[in-house]
Amino acid sequence: MNDTGAVLNRSMKIKRMLLFVMLLVIAIVYLLPVFFVILTAFKTDAEISLQNFAWLPASLDVSSFVNAWKMADWIRAFSNSAITTFCVVVISVLINTIAGYSFARMRFKGSNVLFIILLMGMMIPSQAIAIPQFIIIKNLHLYNTLAAIVVCFLSAPMGVFLSKTFYTTFPKELDESAKIDGCTRFGAYVRIYLPMSKTLFATMVILKGVQVWNDFFYPLIMTSSERLKTVQLALQLFKGSTTTHYNWLMAATLFTSLPLVVLYFCAQKYFVAGIQTTGMKN
Amino acid sequence: MVKRKKAPFKSEKSAYLMILPSYFIFFVIILVPICWSFGMSFTDYNFKTWNFVGFKNYINIFKDELFLLSIRNTVWYSVLTILPSMVLSLLLAVLLNTKVLGRGIFRTVFYLPHILSMVAISMAWSYMYNTQAGIINKALTGIGLSAVGWLSDKNIAMISVAIMSIWSSLGYYTLLYLSGLQGIPGHLYEAASIDGATTIKQFFYITIPSLRPTIFFVFVMSCIASFEVFGQVYIMTNGGPLNSTTTIAHQVYVNGFQYYKMGYASAEAIVLLLIILTITILNMKFGGGEGDE
Repeated sequence: MNDTGAVLNRSMKIKRMLLFVMLLVIAIVYLLPVFFVILTAFKTDAEISLQNFAWLPASLDVSSFVNAWKMADWIRAFSNSAITTFCVVVISVLINTIAGYSFARMRFKGSNVLFIILLMGMMIPSQAIAIPQFIIIKNLHLYNTLAAIVVCFLSAPMGVFLSKTFYTTFPKELDESAKIDGCTRFGAYVRIYLPMSKTLFATMVILKGVQVWNDFFYPLIMTSSERLKTVQLALQLFKGSTTTHYNWLMAATLFTSLPLVVLYFCAQKYFVAGIQTTGMKN
Repeated sequence: MVKRKKAPFKSEKSAYLMILPSYFIFFVIILVPICWSFGMSFTDYNFKTWNFVGFKNYINIFKDELFLLSIRNTVWYSVLTILPSMVLSLLLAVLLNTKVLGRGIFRTVFYLPHILSMVAISMAWSYMYNTQAGIINKALTGIGLSAVGWLSDKNIAMISVAIMSIWSSLGYYTLLYLSGLQGIPGHLYEAASIDGATTIKQFFYITIPSLRPTIFFVFVMSCIASFEVFGQVYIMTNGGPLNSTTTIAHQVYVNGFQYYKMGYASAEAIVLLLIILTITILNMKFGGGEGDE
């Protein structure tokens, strides 16, 4: 009896070990492009023009980072992206969570219809509305400003949906006690619900922040001047300005990706939470 | 979502005020533009003048070789991406759903590419795909094979773009599947293994049927993503070589923002929207229905 148990245990262990090795191999293969970018960025100009390929750079040479950094006004690009992302995230999270709260906790005429229209809005591809958005932005005299990009990102049907799902789970007694305390609806939201919305806010900040930071379509169509380039647009133009210095390109790819990668490793929980709640949608 | 008890607050008029900021923006930035696109698709608006032209744009785009090609390309891209990414991410999710050592780290690793920007990963892959300097061709020639024009051969370019897209979205779909897998009650598997069902049988008779709603959700998401594909095409090939990678969304961009044929581009955009709506509605009808409840 004991023997078979031990045998079973051992075969389980071997199975688990095999699985681990398998996943490890898959993960390494999957991340090869990432390793490749990192290793290329540390190579010298001479190294990347060699006919023979070597994975590892001869030494950790940072000159491609220095050169890539000098090639464009990255500080401006980073601040443009930071300002845009910050404004979108703050405004969008505030207005859309309140809307989600109202849909979740309040009864009002037409709430179902309004909510369904909102959900349908989630399916509209940005290319289908970009032209009128462009015309609206032009008429508002916002063309070629960072505000144009901000405005285009403010709407977040997905955020309203997430907030609605989040606030629906709260107990009814909360509303009743708020009423006894003489709170208005808005007061109840600010005093009772807001302090308990940390996860929701973090999830939405990350979903929206990543979307805005990584987007290049709206900066591309809504701005034209050099000084308004966001990070992604600057990176895309950088590609055109140096066609042979791949090590510089990869260095630029790395330092433009760094902020999000750092954020990802610090706040991974909320990245995952965002996906899993959106996955619940079906 | 029907609340039977009487609401704690009598007047809920304040709700309108509270959804107003969000809804106003949604109205101006999404609803008005989509109706506007629709209206504009019946005009020859070119950013200066406009005339009502009826269905002329719709007739013309379906005579436009380039637009027809872009539809074929988009469908081809969808065929290349949807099924492979659904199958690969499902397998990966099943592997990650076991009690394997370090599964948290693996999950982190597989999701990483999805947070990188399309510009960044397109740049990385463009370099890898490069005919002369790219690592893939260097590896191929290194083992005696001939170099491939990954992005310069018109028969291969779309496949290359698709491979990169699968790579970048794999982690996202894997996470979606994982949250679905975690909802399958463990006793189903226990009962099955007592009955002597093999792992493979369990996969087909328990995992797949239980995951149906998630599978359909992933299917819809990847359909929509495939039909809207723009960023990678714009950055990596700009539709080339010989228009072999131009997609519907890319045509909308080119006609609207480069040639300023905005009425014409709007008609193309509406066709794109109709395709996406059709896929979603078909799915709601045949897919999610039973699995949902």
